Amino acid sequence: MNLQKEAMDWLDRRLGVRELLHSNLGGYLLPRNTNIWYTLGAVLMAMFGLQFLTGILLLVYYVPDTEKAFASVTMIMNEVPYGWLLRYLHVVGSNLIMVFLLLHMLSVLFMGSYKRPRELTWLSGFIILNLGFVFCLTGYLLPWSQLSFWATTVATDASGAIPFIGDYLIEFLRGGPSVGEATLGRFFALHVMGLPMAFLGLVGFHLFCVRRIGVSSPPFGEHYRPTELTQSFHHEEHPGGVPFHPNYTIKELSMVFFALAALVAITFYAPWMFIPLDALEPADPFSTPEHIKPEWYFLWAYQTLKIFPSELLGLASQGAAMGFLAMLPFLDRSPERRPSKRPIFVTLYLLGILLVVGLSIWGHYS
Amino acid sequence: MSDTPVNAKQRRTFLGIILGAIGAVIAGAFSWPLFRFLSPIDKGGEAEQVRVDRQQIKVGDAHFFSYQGRPAVLLQPQAGEFVALSAVCTHLGCIVKWVDDSQEFLCPCHAGRFSTAGQVLGGPPPKPLTTYSVTIDGNDILIG
Ligand code: HEM
Ligand code: FES
Repeated sequence: MNLQKEAMDWLDRRLGVRELLHSNLGGYLLPRNTNIWYTLGAVLMAMFGLQFLTGILLLVYYVPDTEKAFASVTMIMNEVPYGWLLRYLHVVGSNLIMVFLLLHMLSVLFMGSYKRPRELTWLSGFIILNLGFVFCLTGYLLPWSQLSFWATTVATDASGAIPFIGDYLIEFLRGGPSVGEATLGRFFALHVMGLPMAFLGLVGFHLFCVRRIGVSSPPFGEHYRPTELTQSFHHEEHPGGVPFHPNYTIKELSMVFFALAALVAITFYAPWMFIPLDALEPADPFSTPEHIKPEWYFLWAYQTLKIFPSELLGLASQGAAMGFLAMLPFLDRSPERRPSKRPIFVTLYLLGILLVVGLSIWGHYS
Repeated sequence: MSDTPVNAKQRRTFLGIILGAIGAVIAGAFSWPLFRFLSPIDKGGEAEQVRVDRQQIKVGDAHFFSYQGRPAVLLQPQAGEFVALSAVCTHLGCIVKWVDDSQEFLCPCHAGRFSTAGQVLGGPPPKPLTTYSVTIDGNDILIG
């Protein structure tokens, strides 16, 4: 006990840790009425942390070589003790991360928390979502199964629709005319080094924005008033709110445990949900399996490409939709955040969700 | 049991303890798979015995091979007499070299010297080289 106090005193005299801890934990007040959606950030951090851990462990046995990759993954599954557990956690974890990333985005959209002054928070979050997509795309190739090989072939092929540079772009992405050793090399480097580094930097920035600007009040209830926009920097305070620690941290921790429960439940009882049969055969560049389909989170994009008369139009509309989302806070500038006062936005929001879900289901069954 | 209602602070403390306990159980339960995952995989089939063709080693010559995953050496100091030794120096684990001229082993790291029987002739090595049993089986030599 005394030792703890001594250590604390020592640190305090040098780094002023007491003040730092107080202003970020007990003395950092959050709105009283934050809802469950506010905990998704913590859930995502925990899931990403686990993904880093299982990924680094998979690296112990995984071999990024077209001749050996599939065998090394098979060995992880069948020979290495608990290798199946770590691989399934990584696979199921990646899917759950996409679910939570999408939910997180939908919740901040609904509550209008992307609006000024939180444009940069939104933008960095949107880039993180896209990094998640690229993480999955690059990771998917690594086991070098039939599924990996053909999903990557189809995904990279789509970029060929871009005028002028299309053909060159395909080869550039693949590092050669078709998916092969060069593709595995670059996807592997991205998946285990490039993306994790970029990811850490972006998450750091995202969290900095959240903390520096201050958490938004949920735009519900009769007491809610839109914040006055000021010309100069302003930290949003919540006088009379609840302390971040322990009130809010406990709530976050509970949600993290619910997410982990979902993760292990799927890992133990339904891991095959995310491992189709084609993932069990080594890649064969000379035989395309039938009905090759992308992962569920890419189905909407896959279906858009199919229904447009030209691939270019399909790509352009996807680009426009993603660009619109990225730029939303700069386009939608009214300070009103209450969904009840934004009927047009809420209608478009629901239609947008229906469209993406509809396209995905269509893509799944077509 | 008293009937005083539980206040928010008590509920939070209780939840905190429960969460901490579950966390500890998860961490504990996960550490075993983690340890097993990282433990060396027993290759099971690692041969107990190694067979070397007799023609491969001449009198006064040394033949290096791998025995149970570690470097070893087979010698024929005199016609018909075979000796198998570990080639790992007993000082700090370098692999000894066979010196034809002096018919002894020299460790390149700190100049330890060993005889054909594995005895220390000089230098820092504290112990002789480990010897393995050798049996002659027709045209082959069986080690181990
Ligand atoms: C430092 C972080 C990471 C490392 C070192 C890493 C490493 C690996 C390795 C070695 C594999 C190949 C083995 C296998 O297929 O099971 C893999 C596969 C995969 N990774 Fe990661 N990973 C990391 C983060 C992530 C993240 C954040 C995501 C998603 C958001 C992700 C999604 C995937 C996917 C979808 C696969 C393919 C799974 C399969 O079909 O087996 N990874 N990763
Ligand atoms: S390791 Fe052989 S003499 Fe030092």
